[in-house]
Amino acid sequence: MVRPEIRSGYRVTIGIECHVQLKTKTKLFSAVGNDAREAPANTLISHIDLGMPGALPVLNEAAVVLASRAAFALGTKPQPFSKFDRKHYFYPDLPNGYQITQFYDPIIKGGVVTFDVAGEQRQVRIHEAHLEADAGKSTHPVGRDYSLVDLNRAGTPLLEIVSEPDIHSSEDARAYARELYLLVRYADVSDASLYYGNMRFDVNVSVSKTDELGTRTETKNLNSFRSVEKAAEYEIDRQIALLESGEAVVQETRGWDDSKQETFSQRGKEEAHDYRYMPDPDLPPIVLSDDMIAEFQKSMPLLPNIYRDVLKHLGLDLATIETLIDSPANTKLVKNVLDESDAQHAKRVANWLVNVSTEDDDDSQQSDNRVSAEAAIKLSKMVSDNKLSSTSAKEIWQEILVQGGDPEALAQSKNLLQVSDQGEIASIVQAVLAENPKAAEDIKNGEMKAIGFLVGQVMKQSKGKANPTLAQAVIKAQLGL
Amino acid sequence: MVELTNEDVLKLARLARLRLNDDECGVFKKEISSILGYVEQLDKVDLKDVVPTYQVTGLTNVTRPDTEIDYGASTKELLKNAPALENNQIKVKRMLDR
Repeated sequence: MVRPEIRSGYRVTIGIECHVQLKTKTKLFSAVGNDAREAPANTLISHIDLGMPGALPVLNEAAVVLASRAAFALGTKPQPFSKFDRKHYFYPDLPNGYQITQFYDPIIKGGVVTFDVAGEQRQVRIHEAHLEADAGKSTHPVGRDYSLVDLNRAGTPLLEIVSEPDIHSSEDARAYARELYLLVRYADVSDASLYYGNMRFDVNVSVSKTDELGTRTETKNLNSFRSVEKAAEYEIDRQIALLESGEAVVQETRGWDDSKQETFSQRGKEEAHDYRYMPDPDLPPIVLSDDMIAEFQKSMPLLPNIYRDVLKHLGLDLATIETLIDSPANTKLVKNVLDESDAQHAKRVANWLVNVSTEDDDDSQQSDNRVSAEAAIKLSKMVSDNKLSSTSAKEIWQEILVQGGDPEALAQSKNLLQVSDQGEIASIVQAVLAENPKAAEDIKNGEMKAIGFLVGQVMKQSKGKANPTLAQAVIKAQLGL
Repeated sequence: MVELTNEDVLKLARLARLRLNDDECGVFKKEISSILGYVEQLDKVDLKDVVPTYQVTGLTNVTRPDTEIDYGASTKELLKNAPALENNQIKVKRMLDR
């Protein structure tokens, strides 16, 4: 670890390249299924993916639509003119001997991502983002002298988003990575499952004591926000330690060892960045008219920062807002509740969503709105109308979260409806007062502590169904207070 | 005329994953230099106002809908040319990852 006083003498500069898998049904240039998650090896391939002689790649129109939406999510517009180039390198998981990408005229140029870190606004400019085809997947069986190649993933459409070097701490690097994740999910561009590697980050880090940028390293293939932060942190420390001991940072590609929590040199793997780019003659350019671009813009869903504003207006705290924002489905539900009722119900539903969890609350694929806004409002109204205690409401919330159902019918069948009937409560109170004359006397003498005890007794006798506020009022009334 | 060095040729060979002996290196140095020399003639042309040609078809937006097509070839047929297979994966010389 580098001591903080030494570290503070250095300026950290970070740029991030992010590969996002687009949620198309088929590949970028071949009409073969794109979901390689569970498919047996080499079953999602075609002559195009294998780079057979004479195979003609044809662009998937959905990839153009999704990339265009990504442009708006990144605070810009898609380019009216973009085209494809070949990036040459030889590797067994790249059958063509080149990757089809957009080098000279990418579909997205410029843009900006705005987010907060600990209440302070950050802006990271986007340099460009381009469409490209993924390579196959290779595995290296332990103790063998060969590798295995599965080409199911070859040709999967990726959008590579390249930031400007506008990030200056590992914490901000993590926050930027998360914001990209939120943007592509809200814009419905990618499933963005980190588990399945739908998003991969390459982090470029340099440190310098002067205004001039230092030598940078690139740590490739990070697949979680945490590893983005940790790898950046590790590189910052490593580079400062090198410079402090009079050594130089070597410009190189590095990998991340998650078990050791450190980066390691991958020198030699691709020593020469000599990709010999050339325009791909098989693929005519993409030309987007103003009308098409306007059409894409019209189809844009609301983005995270809009929802954040809505949630802030409900008076929710920052932690609750960010937890909600992690799930577009939950955020939309709160917004729908707000639109169809009022802030009181929206806030209550927001708190249920964050605080009452179910077991399958993992990653992104969770319970995409099994609760309708209508059911949520109904349940919340029952609390407002004193028909349900807040504890019972949470119980029912959990139930409808898992298997749906009508809140009122559920409350009835579970016998949770609160008794707000004055007469019924009055008779229970009468009995309780008769059984507890001492407590009744204490209250009359001004010892209000005892009233809590009596309310508890009423709740007990009513099996938790009495409305506690009402019970307290009735107790006071019967004691003539 | 451009005269490639041995290092240039060896770098090209490395990028192409080829191993050349000294004789081959000498042959390619001469041949590639001569090809480059031939292309070099283009340097004499005044290209000041010429837009690069990326496409000769004049086509734009050649796309297909996002639906699967049965191209009519099975995994077995498609992998027929693979040098070796193991469980339908293509077996290749070991790539060193670390």
